[in-house]
Amino acid sequence: MRGRLLALLALSGLLLAAGMQQRYDSTINYFSERSAFVSLPAGKTLKALAFGYHNLAADLLFIWSIQFYSTYYISNRFDFLERVYDTITDITPQYKEPYVIGSLIMAMEARDIPMALRLLDKGSLRNPEEYMFDQEAGFYCYKYLKDYARAEQYYNRAAAKPGAPAFIKRMNAHLVYLRNDPKMAYQMWLDIYRHAGDILTKDSATNHLYQIKAEAELPQLQAKVAEFRAKFRRLPASLSELAVVGMIREVPRDFDGNEYVYDAQSGKVTAQRIFRWKKR
Amino acid sequence: MKASVKGIVINTFRESARNKMFYLLVFFGILFALSSKVVSFLTLGDAMKVLKDTGLAAINFFCVLIAIFTGINLVFKEIEKKTVFNILSKPVSRDEFIVGKFLGLALTMLTALGAMSAIFFVFVALSGGGFDWGILLYFCMLGLELLVIVAISLLFSSFTTPILSFIFTVSLYLIGHVMWTFNEFKALLRVPAWKALIQVLYYLLPNLDKFNIKNEVVLGTALNPWTMLFSILYALAYIAALLALTVLIFRKREFQ
Amino acid sequence: MKALEIKGLKKSFRSNFLLKKYHILKGVDLEVEKGEIYGFLGPNGAGKTTTIKCILDLLAPSAGEILVDGQPTSSPAARRRIGFLPENPYFYDYLSAREFLFFSAALFNLSGAEVKDKVAALIHRVGLSGHEDLKLRKFSKGMIQRLGLAQALVNDPDLLILDEPFSGLDPIGRKDLRTLILSLREQGKTIFFSSHILQDMELMVDRVGIILDGAIRRQGKLSELIARSIQYYEVVCDHIAERELANIQANFACRDGYFILTLASDGNVNQVVESIIHNNGRIVAVNPVKMTLEDIFFNEMRDSR
Repeated sequence: MRGRLLALLALSGLLLAAGMQQRYDSTINYFSERSAFVSLPAGKTLKALAFGYHNLAADLLFIWSIQFYSTYYISNRFDFLERVYDTITDITPQYKEPYVIGSLIMAMEARDIPMALRLLDKGSLRNPEEYMFDQEAGFYCYKYLKDYARAEQYYNRAAAKPGAPAFIKRMNAHLVYLRNDPKMAYQMWLDIYRHAGDILTKDSATNHLYQIKAEAELPQLQAKVAEFRAKFRRLPASLSELAVVGMIREVPRDFDGNEYVYDAQSGKVTAQRIFRWKKR
Repeated sequence: MKASVKGIVINTFRESARNKMFYLLVFFGILFALSSKVVSFLTLGDAMKVLKDTGLAAINFFCVLIAIFTGINLVFKEIEKKTVFNILSKPVSRDEFIVGKFLGLALTMLTALGAMSAIFFVFVALSGGGFDWGILLYFCMLGLELLVIVAISLLFSSFTTPILSFIFTVSLYLIGHVMWTFNEFKALLRVPAWKALIQVLYYLLPNLDKFNIKNEVVLGTALNPWTMLFSILYALAYIAALLALTVLIFRKREFQ
Repeated sequence: MKALEIKGLKKSFRSNFLLKKYHILKGVDLEVEKGEIYGFLGPNGAGKTTTIKCILDLLAPSAGEILVDGQPTSSPAARRRIGFLPENPYFYDYLSAREFLFFSAALFNLSGAEVKDKVAALIHRVGLSGHEDLKLRKFSKGMIQRLGLAQALVNDPDLLILDEPFSGLDPIGRKDLRTLILSLREQGKTIFFSSHILQDMELMVDRVGIILDGAIRRQGKLSELIARSIQYYEVVCDHIAERELANIQANFACRDGYFILTLASDGNVNQVVESIIHNNGRIVAVNPVKMTLEDIFFNEMRDSR
């Protein structure tokens, strides 16, 4: 065959092949249920199989997982979720992203908080200087499990780690409060207040301190008013009367140093500020 | 250095430097290293980690290929083409020949590695990763690993065909990176004889993963200077042993 | 001290698969005096190249001893004064002639400015001027051969060992090589070479060693080997009638208008000549036909069967 003809044949053959490939691809559904991940070797096996290129393997697996777990039409995509992230984190335990992203997917998308917590625990174990894993775990306990005791434990741990930002301490204190240990919570908030490095922290602390103090003292005052009424068959004219008759040693002030508001008509004791945090 | 050894070193380097395959591998190594930028776009979070991981892995891979391919042909070609007659019929001992060949190959290898390292180092800096001296440290360790591989391929090249040399060298490279599994095996075994055998193999075969400090370098974890020192010494010792073995074998070699 | 001495050289190989041993050299003894040209002659497979490789320590002898200027050749130092041209030399095709010669010089631990001059002189001597920078892959066979000679001379050796140096050369090349070898002898060098081309050998060698089936069969001065036998005499004549010639001697040949009579080496040459003249014949020539090297060679081969 002539040279030119051969070249033409080669080119058209290539184009034809490309066209056929495209048709072939359109007939295959790559993301059928069957082709979801069947099995993945455990972390060590994959490390061995990677023959020294395991970092890259872990990276690629991570990149793949991000794409895969955001492909919403694969219905059973979470079947091996824990396995995948265990593998990645086994290979490179100090790579932080997988713990964070993995637990995020587990908590938000797969709705499996215990699985997320397991992953975060692992992260914390392998990276003892990192506060963020305990922080995330604490948050999940608080928000989704509503297990304040456990959340408090996590925040406690996180707060103790170097570089833990102030709000962790705040969260910790709040959780203690939620756990119905107002005395301890008060102490913690006081500590935060005293060491506050910025206005936000100080404000937040004062708010909490105000609330805790008020929540402790208002009921007490209210009780004393009732006691007064029972004894003297009338409401006291003011809170100082309670002190005069010796029911309280002195009239407590709120955290701002202002007097509590007493309505002599109804006998209700309230605080000047409206505090927001409600106990759940 | 004796002029004869120097001559062999330079000649070996020249042979590689005029070989197209060599340049091809260097080119692809750099290409893949630079494509790490693309890969890094796909990840969430620390893109620089993925960029460095990919780049280092690419350079690692292609340099290993260079080490193996230039090494396995080295001595074999000389024997095959009878150019070895020109050298050994002169007052050059077999030892000098092997040492010269090794140094020439080492020079070639380190030149390729040096070029790739420099380019990638600048690339990382330009991509926003700053001057990561850790990467250079990794390349130094990789250089040592490559010299071990070169010595291995030279050893095989001195007595078998390129295909067998290739198979043996690649096998030792792969095994060399999973030697840590030997320890796990040893723990599982009961019979002392098997344990002893595994232990012997553990020390006999090259332990290459010690040079693989990619993880530490990219994540910035601390490196124990003693560990590094021992790795360096390991390399020097192992290379010396290999060269010695090669010379021993080569001395008995007859050229029909 | 002899330039080259081989005593009792034996060499055998073992085939890889079978345990069968192949005995290539079965006891080679030869001596080469200083300043002479020694021709190493033998058919293919006799062991010429194997012997030469043993001399250069490319093969280790199974038994025996090889001394160059009194030193065993197994030590690299002994090879300092040897120049070697292998059969079918192959050089690095990515080098130029000049680069290759510099490399060869370096292998002798020669370096510096003197090497530059030497290399230039050598290139000129072997007739490669103008091609110094050409890459060897572009060289013709004859050019490669010349370069091979150049690298064999780069260290100004006392002993030159050439394996089939004439093979593949055209007549001009062969003449050049002959001239070169003779001039090297003039310089006081010793040349040991193997060849098939017996005529060339005959023209040059002082001594000859014939190797057959792994051992030297005959060794000695060429003049001695040949003078030992004048095979026959040839008397060439014409201007005589065949009938008359037949009376003198029954056997004769006819060629180109001449008659050629073959006579045994001893005896009646004079008588025959006189008879022819007496019959008014003309004597064109009387040739003593000596054995050629070829004859000696083929005789040896025949005897060994």
